[in-house]
Order: sequence, then C-alpha cells, then structure tokens
Amino acid sequence: MPTNNWQQTCNRFCMSNNFTNEDQLIQYLDGELTAQDAADLNAELARNPVLAAKLESLRQTQASIAMYGLRQTVGGIHQEMMGELGQAGPAPVVGMRQWLHYAARIAAVLVLLAGSLVVYQYYTATPHSLYNTDALPYQWHETRGATISTLETDYNNHEYSKVIQDFKQLPAPNATAYFLTANAALQTAQPAMAISALAALQQQNTAAQTHYYEEDVVYYLALAYLQNNEPAKALPLFETIYAAKDHPYHSYTSRWFMMKLRRLAR
Amino acid sequence: MDAGKSLSDNTILQLLQGNQPPDEAIRALYRQQYNMVKTYITQNNGSQEDAQDIFQETIISFIEMVKQHKFRGESSISTFVYAIARYTWLNEIKKRGRAQLRNEKYEREKEIAEPGIENHLVNRELKNTLVKVIDSLGANCKKILLAFYYENLPMRDILQQLQYGNEQVVRNKKYKCLKQLEQMINANKQLAANLQSILYE
Repeated sequence: MPTNNWQQTCNRFCMSNNFTNEDQLIQYLDGELTAQDAADLNAELARNPVLAAKLESLRQTQASIAMYGLRQTVGGIHQEMMGELGQAGPAPVVGMRQWLHYAARIAAVLVLLAGSLVVYQYYTATPHSLYNTDALPYQWHETRGATISTLETDYNNHEYSKVIQDFKQLPAPNATAYFLTANAALQTAQPAMAISALAALQQQNTAAQTHYYEEDVVYYLALAYLQNNEPAKALPLFETIYAAKDHPYHSYTSRWFMMKLRRLAR
Repeated sequence: MDAGKSLSDNTILQLLQGNQPPDEAIRALYRQQYNMVKTYITQNNGSQEDAQDIFQETIISFIEMVKQHKFRGESSISTFVYAIARYTWLNEIKKRGRAQLRNEKYEREKEIAEPGIENHLVNRELKNTLVKVIDSLGANCKKILLAFYYENLPMRDILQQLQYGNEQVVRNKKYKCLKQLEQMINANKQLAANLQSILYE
C-alpha cells in the first residue's frame, strides 16, 4: 500500500480519534488494546478501507515472521536429524541402488538396441544376404588313387571359370562334373547355370537310380535359388534340411535363418 | 520426551497446532517420514542431497498447511507428506529444465496431486525471496519479532532474554522493527502483491 495514502489517512484519522499511529494497529493485532479501543477501531476499520489495508499489511508482516521462524527451526532440526539418521556421509545402500538404476538403464538400452537390430535384420533380409550368410563353398577332395580330371584339378585350384570351360568340353559329364560345375557357377555368380547343372545331376541320379551327391545337391540347389533371387523355390529345400536333424547341412539352417527365408518366400 | 521416540499422528498434529515451536513434532516427522521421501526421490533421478532439500521443504509446507487447517487428518500424515514431497520434487525437476519426457511426466502427475497442495507450493520461489528480505533485517529486530510472533513468548521472558530496561522499551522496539520490516517487504512490489497468497494459500 502506498505510504502517502496511509499517511494522509492517518493524519485525518489521528486528528479525530484516539488512534494516534500505527503502533495502535499493532497493539490491536497483538491483543493489547482495551475492549473499548478495539471496538472503536473495528468501527473505523469498517468505514476506512485504507486503514483496513494498513492493518492487513501489518498482519501479513507478522505472519511473515512466523513463517521465517518456522523455516529457521526446521533448518536447525534438519541438521540435527540428518546426523541422527546417518545421512551426513555417503549412503552405500542408496549408492548401490543408484548404480543398479544406471545398470538397469544401460541394460534396457542394450536390449532395445539388440531388439532393434533383430527387427532391422528381419525386415531387411534379402535372398542375396541370406545366401552370403549361409553359403558354404564346397570343398572337394579327390579320392586317393583315382584319376584326376582337368575339371577337378581346376576346381581344387579355385579356378572356377576354367571349371565351367572344362565342363563345356565334356561330351558326357559325370555326376562330379555336374556338381563341381554347379559350385563353380555359384562362385562366379551364375546361379542359373548352377541350377541347370544340379537339376541335370538330379535327373541323372533318378534315371540311373543312383544317389551321387544327393544331399549336397539339395543344399546347393537351395543356395542357387537364393542367389537367383527365388526364395520361394529355395524354401522347401531348406525346410527339408531344417526338418532332418541328421542332414549333413542341417546346422546351416538355423531357426532365425528360416524365419527370414519364410518371410521372403511369402 | 524420550529421544528417538515415534509419535502418533494425533500427537504430532496437536504439537504443530499449539503456540510453541513444534521441535519434537518436527523431529518425529524426520524419524517417521524421511526414509519414505528419500526412497521416492532417489528412485526418481534425485540425489541424496536432493532428498534432504526436498524433505526439508516438505516438512515446512506440511506444518504451514496444518497451521492453516488445510490438513485435518482425512488421510494419514504419511500419505499427505508423501504427496507434498512428490509434488515438490516434480516441480523441482521442471524448474531444472530436464528432459521433455520428465516434463510430460510432471504434467501427468501434477493432475493427481492432493487437492490444496498445488496452490500452497507454487509460491516457493517468492517464499525464498521473503526469507531473504527478513534475513536482511537487523539481528536484534529479528530476535524481538521472532520471540513475539513465532515463539509467542510472554513479555517478561523476552525482557529477560534481550536485557532491555523495561517492557515499554521492548514494546517500542517491537513496533519499530515490525514497521521497518513491513516497509522492506512493500519495497519489493512483486512480493507485496503476492504476500497474501504466499502466506495463506
């Protein structure tokens, strides 16, 4: 409240009443006025809003002191009680909790990242990426004492283009020639040729009721379909391998691999 | 009163509503409520120091609300103190301007705070300003005013403590100090304009 207003009011009021200054308002608040003086002041307060505002201002100042005192008291007891409750020094239990809290957060972030990676891999898998993760270059070992053909020698030397050339020179390729040529075609990213050679080998086996490279053909034909971007054709072959736990290539068909392949085959 | 003794809710409320400084009630509140608040603060991104600061503010707010009859025992003291502490801490997090996520949490949790707590606590900053103003009052003035208006000591006790010549000297000094403080408060326009809500809401 502006001091000038109060001063003007006080001057007028003080001239005509028993209340001579602010001290009497304080006496009123402190319960130190006589009953008659208090009644007279009450009547004046009802008529005089400036005087009433001044009284309220003083009342609030007194209340401010009480608030301040409470804060001082609590502040003093706070120090005392922190000592009694053992909060002055480091608290190992809280520290451990805090550590566990951070560890849990880190673990949650790692799980989230791992989960995101899995989801990312699942939805971004392609036939070629599956081929690259699963393809096992066939290691051909000649039979001790047997005659080695040029094609076989070239395959062992990893000269895959030569293998394909050698194959084309053969008037009547045998099972090994078909099989190694198919693998050479896979190594040189010619899946159609690989599929053709492996299919021919299967026909030859069927016709002659033989079983040359029978289980190998299933696996490499499946790989050839993947490389040729035909996951739907690769899927039944890999399902066969995955279902047969004693299949020599079973360990290359994990559950995760099959999940990705099934999604691609849809 | 035995050191370290717990007090019932009723006893604490009676002590807080009395005219004497409620030291024993405050100690009991620390013994009975501090660990609960500390657990909440430290499990919600606060340090042990945060827990101590927030608990101190919480106890002051709780006592003020009891004295203003805003807590009448409808819930337990523990429930009410927890609600004040939670609200005070969420306000503190907001003030520190932490991550948006926590601000959103604050907004969500603010809505479920105990009725009456929000209004009481929003003036925390202005209360601190008021404390600074009173801090700047002379030491003797603070002693006299605290003895009268906080400790509610009778005049003869104040006379003994402060060693003034007679009661009228003390009374005159009290008038002078109170008027001086009133002027200091009114000199801060924001403080003066909000004093009502700072003290009573």
